[in-house]
Amino acid sequence: MTTLPLSRPRAGRSLLARREARWALVFISPWIVGFFAFTLLPMVATLAFTFTNVNLNQTEPLRFVGLDNYKAVFSDKSTWDSLGVTLKFAALSLPVAVLLPLAVALLLGSRHLRFAGMFRVLFFLPYVVPFVAGVLIWESMLNVDSGWIDQLLKLIGVSDPPNWLQDPTWVYPGLVLLGVWGIGGGVIVYLAGLRGIPSEYYDAARIDGAGVWASFRHVTLPLLSPVIFYTLILAIVDVLQYFLVPLVLNQGTGEPGGTTLFLNLYIYKNFFAYQNMSYGATLAWILFALTLVVTLFVFASARRWVYYAGER
Amino acid sequence: MHARLSRPGILFAAIALLASACGGSAASPSASSAPSSEASASVAPPSTGPATVPPGGPIQIRWFCCLGGGDDPSQQKVFKQVIADFNASHPNIKVVFDYTAYSGARDAFATRVASGNPPDIVGPLGVGGANAFEGQWLDLSQHIQTNNIDLSGFDQGVINLYKAGGQGQLGIPFAIYPSELYYQPDMFDAASLEPPPANYGDQYKMPDGSMVDWNYDTVRQIAMQLTVDKAGKNATDSAFNPKQIVQYGFEPQRDDLRTMGAAYFAAGKFLADDGKTAQIPDAWAAAWKWVYKGMWTDHFILTGPAYNSQTFNGGGYAFNSGHVAMQENFLWNVCCVTDAGGNWNLAALPSYNGKVTAPLNADTFRITKGTKHPDEAFTVLQYLVLGAAHTKLLNSISGFPALKAEQADYFTQLQQQKDDKGKLIYPPDVNWNVVTQAIPFADIDPNSENAMPKYNKSLDILAKYLTRWTSNPGLNMDNELNNLKQELQTTWNAAS
Repeated sequence: MTTLPLSRPRAGRSLLARREARWALVFISPWIVGFFAFTLLPMVATLAFTFTNVNLNQTEPLRFVGLDNYKAVFSDKSTWDSLGVTLKFAALSLPVAVLLPLAVALLLGSRHLRFAGMFRVLFFLPYVVPFVAGVLIWESMLNVDSGWIDQLLKLIGVSDPPNWLQDPTWVYPGLVLLGVWGIGGGVIVYLAGLRGIPSEYYDAARIDGAGVWASFRHVTLPLLSPVIFYTLILAIVDVLQYFLVPLVLNQGTGEPGGTTLFLNLYIYKNFFAYQNMSYGATLAWILFALTLVVTLFVFASARRWVYYAGER
Repeated sequence: MHARLSRPGILFAAIALLASACGGSAASPSASSAPSSEASASVAPPSTGPATVPPGGPIQIRWFCCLGGGDDPSQQKVFKQVIADFNASHPNIKVVFDYTAYSGARDAFATRVASGNPPDIVGPLGVGGANAFEGQWLDLSQHIQTNNIDLSGFDQGVINLYKAGGQGQLGIPFAIYPSELYYQPDMFDAASLEPPPANYGDQYKMPDGSMVDWNYDTVRQIAMQLTVDKAGKNATDSAFNPKQIVQYGFEPQRDDLRTMGAAYFAAGKFLADDGKTAQIPDAWAAAWKWVYKGMWTDHFILTGPAYNSQTFNGGGYAFNSGHVAMQENFLWNVCCVTDAGGNWNLAALPSYNGKVTAPLNADTFRITKGTKHPDEAFTVLQYLVLGAAHTKLLNSISGFPALKAEQADYFTQLQQQKDDKGKLIYPPDVNWNVVTQAIPFADIDPNSENAMPKYNKSLDILAKYLTRWTSNPGLNMDNELNNLKQELQTTWNAAS
């Protein structure tokens, strides 16, 4: 028998260290149990569903269907329509979700702004309002007859203001407008990022003759790029999973005319409204793969535009 | 070691989850316990159950609500009282109320069925709501026979409504809602027009004194005269401004594409008799073209934007806004038609190609195929739809009795209803007679809410086209109808 060198470091761990490790496991075990029971297991189960014909109103015998569910995606017009809806909305909402909080954070971080603390609180306040309540309030605000936004537009001479939530042309701008409600979280993250930029850089830029724009372009943006990157990733994931707003606003009907039938909502409907668990699970995995690919692509692009001060 | 052990564990758990999710798949009525000791006759209240409590306690029967309605707190109160009364008189059965709000009821019910734990009784439930769960309802034929229940008090057509799909008698008629033409006499007077015919078979007197058939062409002509712009010009006038309409002539029932003109033109269904082919009945195609032209060319029907406006929406039913002269709708709309003003009335529906069709909605209670206690469930069902509770339940949901002998009283009661200030709710001379006249013209087989594959998904497709047609002028309706048919067919053909 030879001595196993690999066991030596383990044997070298103190009693205290082992006890601490045990307690650490005890303390994180609720999370581990939760993760297995409520995340990993359902994920594995849904993956299994994709190869079966399981549904909530099962009238046929349960059977293995191979890749039929995946093939069905290609001929399902509603899937492509809902993906189109999601991408159209993403094209409109992503720039707003990433740039508007940045603009607001820059204003709030300005030395010239008085009552900055109060404004920070005001911008963050909507973020803590329960989301569903916020959506319902916005529904009233965007109402074409009684909403104050259209009332205001009428006051300034717009005779036929948009029907934000019923007109297929205006529904996406309406939803983007509604999304402005939640920029408070992004603003706080950007503000923290701005605070983290050493003032010496701005001083040095000023000495070199840089104006406001040049300082922003050559100092703020590069040093804030990790935060922008982080916000972008979260915004992409959020927009691909956009669900709650159309569910609350239109009870998930996709009205007007399917323009709010987002991919995630369509997945939900397949699971529950259409009771088609296997197809819903297939779409959920496709959405997962799509999200993964897009975020990996953004991660790959990060090398070109995200600046980490610690890197060579 | 731990990692190796966890993999089979995960697999086992996944399979267990999968298996439990599929547990309801083979749902079938279990061998029942002892046959019901109750033998109730036709519409007489079922006798009380045996006085003895079976060993192990009373058998629990779960009543699931609200897959088709019954959400209102006032209705819930009645339902709970009905349950308390039943439980007090039936020590062998305990009815438990299983409530989920309408908005989440389909999901909740589907989950219960899939988990192998379906409720025993579901209701009140319409035909469409039941068809969303086709194959999950118990055939009551045997129980009806065993319990000597006489259904002769019901219209045969209404009984047949619950025989759809060759799956047996899936329900006992309870509440029905025939269709009528609601109209505003004052608007007709103002336009110097005769009111619509009060009886089926009557002709209509045009302004020039000629007598014509009461059909959709006639409706179009007079609806245009009843459509008025801000300057008081009607839709037949060359100076009429369709952008400033203050009163519309006609409103179709627009909850569903199948009733937006279509089923009022003729009974039909999307699913062909072969059980797999999507079809669009000719009469339905004609109806949708008529409605589309009425919206965008003749302007006597509200477009989508007009319908969604506060002025005309009327809480989802434009006639109730008080700015629409005629509407086709079901009887259940009487609940809210009082908002349309104090002088509305009912008339005969027009005919299409010489034939009248009056779409019928109906509510009842059903027993699930997966109930473990079909006999006890049937005892409860009898109590609800035929027994002591049925009048209370009908009143709570404003249901028109399917039982012919009770129909006249229903209108007498309605006519006597008063508001909080003691004022009569309904106009004194409503032509209720036309409601019962409409029953023989009902669309029984096929019913507008007939079953079709992928029912809920198909409904979403219909809703999408409804919005598209009511929102966009200039569409080629022949192409639209082809696209609709093709989309339904593709959806039905899909493997999943």
